[in-house]
Amino acid sequence: MGLKKAFLRLATIGLGIGLMTSAALAANLRVLAWDGYADPDWVKDFTATTGIGVDVVFIGSDDEIWAKIKGSEGQDFDVFAVNTAQLQRYIKADLVSPIDITKLPNQKDVLPRFRDLSQVSGDTKDGKVYGIPFCFDSIGLIYDTDKVKPAPTSMSVLWDPAYKGKILAYDNGEHNFSFTALTLGYKDPFNLNAEQMAAVKAKLVELKRNVLSFYTTADEAQQIYQNNDVALIWANYGQQQVKALQKIGAHVAYVNPSEGALAWLDNWVISKGVRDNAAAEKWIDFMLTKKVSGALSERTGFGNTVVESSSAGGNDKLVWLNNVEDPLKRSDLWNEIKATP
Amino acid sequence: MSAAGSIHPRERRLSLLVTVLAFALPVIFVLVPLAIFLVYSFFSVDQGTIVYTPTLGNYVRFFTDPIFLPVFWNTIVLCVSVAVICILLAYPAAYFLTTLKGRWRYALLMLLLVPLLMSYVIKIYAIRSILGLNGFLNKALVALGILQQPSNLFVFNMNAILLTLSLLLIPFAILPIFLSLERIPQTLLRASDDLGASGWQTFLRITLPLSLPGVASAASFVFVLAIGDFLTPQMVGGISGFTFGRILYSQFGTAYNWPFGAALSVALAIVVICAILVGERFGRNRGTSI
Repeated sequence: MGLKKAFLRLATIGLGIGLMTSAALAANLRVLAWDGYADPDWVKDFTATTGIGVDVVFIGSDDEIWAKIKGSEGQDFDVFAVNTAQLQRYIKADLVSPIDITKLPNQKDVLPRFRDLSQVSGDTKDGKVYGIPFCFDSIGLIYDTDKVKPAPTSMSVLWDPAYKGKILAYDNGEHNFSFTALTLGYKDPFNLNAEQMAAVKAKLVELKRNVLSFYTTADEAQQIYQNNDVALIWANYGQQQVKALQKIGAHVAYVNPSEGALAWLDNWVISKGVRDNAAAEKWIDFMLTKKVSGALSERTGFGNTVVESSSAGGNDKLVWLNNVEDPLKRSDLWNEIKATP
Repeated sequence: MSAAGSIHPRERRLSLLVTVLAFALPVIFVLVPLAIFLVYSFFSVDQGTIVYTPTLGNYVRFFTDPIFLPVFWNTIVLCVSVAVICILLAYPAAYFLTTLKGRWRYALLMLLLVPLLMSYVIKIYAIRSILGLNGFLNKALVALGILQQPSNLFVFNMNAILLTLSLLLIPFAILPIFLSLERIPQTLLRASDDLGASGWQTFLRITLPLSLPGVASAASFVFVLAIGDFLTPQMVGGISGFTFGRILYSQFGTAYNWPFGAALSVALAIVVICAILVGERFGRNRGTSI
């Protein structure tokens, strides 16, 4: 009898503890983010100031975010990070909730370019805000300060015959069409009509004849830079690439072209299945504090939306990446360009 | 025959099982994937999703679009050149090996095959830093006074691919040639010598013809490995070294056009199969005529 009673008591206590932890889990904010967007010390600070527990899951690719959010119809997470090009897809699939910016006091103090969210392409739909900008980087131009004088201001320097065979470009049709369209002065580089497409293609054939090689990874570009006479690099990997080159002693600098630099922008969004909207808003607002956003840039090298960083000066024109009209078409044309003798 | 009659039924069943397994593995891992590829090549892609309605469109595009056939042809020429270079370099090396006695022969052979233990990508990276404009090769040529200034001749172009592929694939040429040279009976060479033939005559009329099967298989090996490679052209080919492998690769990566990629692969597979058949047939004919 005694044993049975003891066992029963143990079971009751066990059940009680189980219920308590599950209750605690239920109140926890569920965050899905890239590595570097929810560091443990920030999470600790957040819980200390708001009393809200946080469970973070890290992801490694855009496809993984989509799979996780779409797979549960947004029920498994409260807040997640996604870039502007991807966000519209989530809005269309009804997986995200509109955000009330009046609940985010820190959003008023962000850098000027992020203050009016209707000006940040991809973040709004039908007048409602769905994404709050958090982290970005531009795709600018790296130039060797010893070889390129005066300092370039436009991507058009890539076509300068003076640097023939000293240029590294990136092996990607989509981005190359977009930046060349910007260089040619087209308004919407992501939606080109047939005539513009042909003009960009001709321009890219000229570019091809001026470059040394097309690279795919940052490491590769760095190795080519070390073993060859390279003056200019179209910097797909932005600040990380600049810093890696400077670390090996290269005399390089970085510039965002005056016609506008392509740039990616990650946003915090609130999922459709959010359990506690107020907690999600607090998380986003906390991310927009000078302390967290400043630390983000220090730790990752990317730009943030609150404190000035080396990704972009205040007057630099940035063009947020968007989905292109026809990726297959651009990829086919890019092959044609590469096959052109 | 009496031995066959004494096999127990259980043993027979076991041997049947082994036979089935022996056939099943190549069917599952080679034939079925190839068949899936073939089937995919008749599909198409619309707005990023694959349309499963049979069409010849991919093949029509391959033959009519002005970019594919020239690149395809250039790639074949490139890979034939790689095979020729590899044979020219590997033959003397293999011949030298067979003149060595005992332990040295195999020790040296192993040394020549050591590069195969290294990662392919690492080798390409290493070669690329050798070939660069400020690379080892250019620095050496300038230091030796052969060149006045660094040359662009082998920096990110077809020549770079040719050099790199040849360097990477030479071990695959040495081995079959060495094996066929080693198989030549010494008695034939001695008989030739006894009958008064010079060393050169013996080589031309006995050694060379009898080693041709090895040369044929070496050539087909190298050709097949070279034509299937996309990484080397991608990494050292620069802007002028655009090969068929790179087009193929882009169909699966950035373009997301698997059906068209499959059709291009079928075209490549046909050339590869032809190369293997030619190599094998040529090799076998000579081999059995001894």
